[in-house]
Amino acid sequence: MTDDVNDRFDELLLDATRAYHRPPDERALPLDEMWKSIEAQAFPRARRAPRYAQWLRIAAALVLGVGIGRFSFRVGRHEVPAVTTSQRIGAPATGDRSVAAPQQPIDPTTSRYLGQAAALLIALPTEASVGRPDQPFIKRANELLLTTRLLLDSQSAADPAMRNLLEDLELVLVQVVQLQKERDASRQTELELIQQALDQRDVIPRLRSAASEYAADD
Amino acid sequence: MTRTAFALQTTPQVNEPELIARVLAGDRLAGRELYNAHAPRVFRLAYRLTGNAELAREFTQDTFVRAFQRLADFRGDAAFSTWIHRITITVVANAMRTVRRLRERQTDLSDLDALHPANATVRRLDPDLRERLGKAIDALPEIYRTTLIMHEMEGYTHTEIAEVLGVAEGTCKSRLSAARSQLRAALADFAKEYES
Repeated sequence: MTDDVNDRFDELLLDATRAYHRPPDERALPLDEMWKSIEAQAFPRARRAPRYAQWLRIAAALVLGVGIGRFSFRVGRHEVPAVTTSQRIGAPATGDRSVAAPQQPIDPTTSRYLGQAAALLIALPTEASVGRPDQPFIKRANELLLTTRLLLDSQSAADPAMRNLLEDLELVLVQVVQLQKERDASRQTELELIQQALDQRDVIPRLRSAASEYAADD
Repeated sequence: MTRTAFALQTTPQVNEPELIARVLAGDRLAGRELYNAHAPRVFRLAYRLTGNAELAREFTQDTFVRAFQRLADFRGDAAFSTWIHRITITVVANAMRTVRRLRERQTDLSDLDALHPANATVRRLDPDLRERLGKAIDALPEIYRTTLIMHEMEGYTHTEIAEVLGVAEGTCKSRLSAARSQLRAALADFAKEYES
């Protein structure tokens, strides 16, 4: 066999070799199904929390409401004239629950964070309606929890009112993140408890208001 | 794009030391990120080595379970991808020994015709190169077959293969050369037909 024929034969062999056990398209891989099995074996669920932990979580949700209320009350009593966004654009004041600008300027990170926290908590009822938060939701809550902790260690938390708000939000976000570890029945109960606490204290409107105020002042 | 370039481009760009630290702290989301970054290549390799979707899936799962369970042993001397592909090769090689033994038992009777001269003639007349090549690759010694699959089919460089298999690059090259020679020899009669 000549060299040329040898080379052509090798080329043909190489082409045929690539067809050997050709894997399916990457988009068709059962990545989620495989992960479920891996997760179950490599990340065994933590032991069930003791019964009193349930009560601690309820208390945490209530603390959030109290914290938000305290925050609104304190910033509302600042000596600095309380100029709200709505007043600035000529609309009537929103009453007792309007949130004035804090004494210290708020940096863009904090402002953005408040908006994102509000967005996440607004999405909670949708999650609750389908019985469980999904992975991206939990992931987002996890990221916000990380940001909350970073902010607690930053200059943003120098304002006591802001510090209280961040601490209370940290508790709620921990609860949300913990939801992924709950069994279906408990998860639904936990979601309802968080939702009740948020509703009773008008947490989301206040958080939104605070976020927009900070954004306007920025 | 060369195959090597393809292999490098599919290597995930994530902050792996940070992800690994988070996984070690019990963060399953970080585990998922690490998995997302490496699972497609691990699956592809397992599929090439086994030729069976179910087995590839099972071995991919085993690979990651072992990797996460032994993650504390990963010192970061080599890339995480090298480490996890080494686990893949070990998992597949160990499991396939059992699978092959089972298959041999099951096919002992049905393959008796391969020894029959009349059937051998039929086989020689079979022009399907792919099918014959597939059988020739299956018949290669495991070390040659793995090297051939990683280099020719999955585009790993000799350096990568050497790291994964824990051999010198020279050894890797000579194994590949031996694999090609054996394939050529196994298909020599086809080459003659091709020549004519």
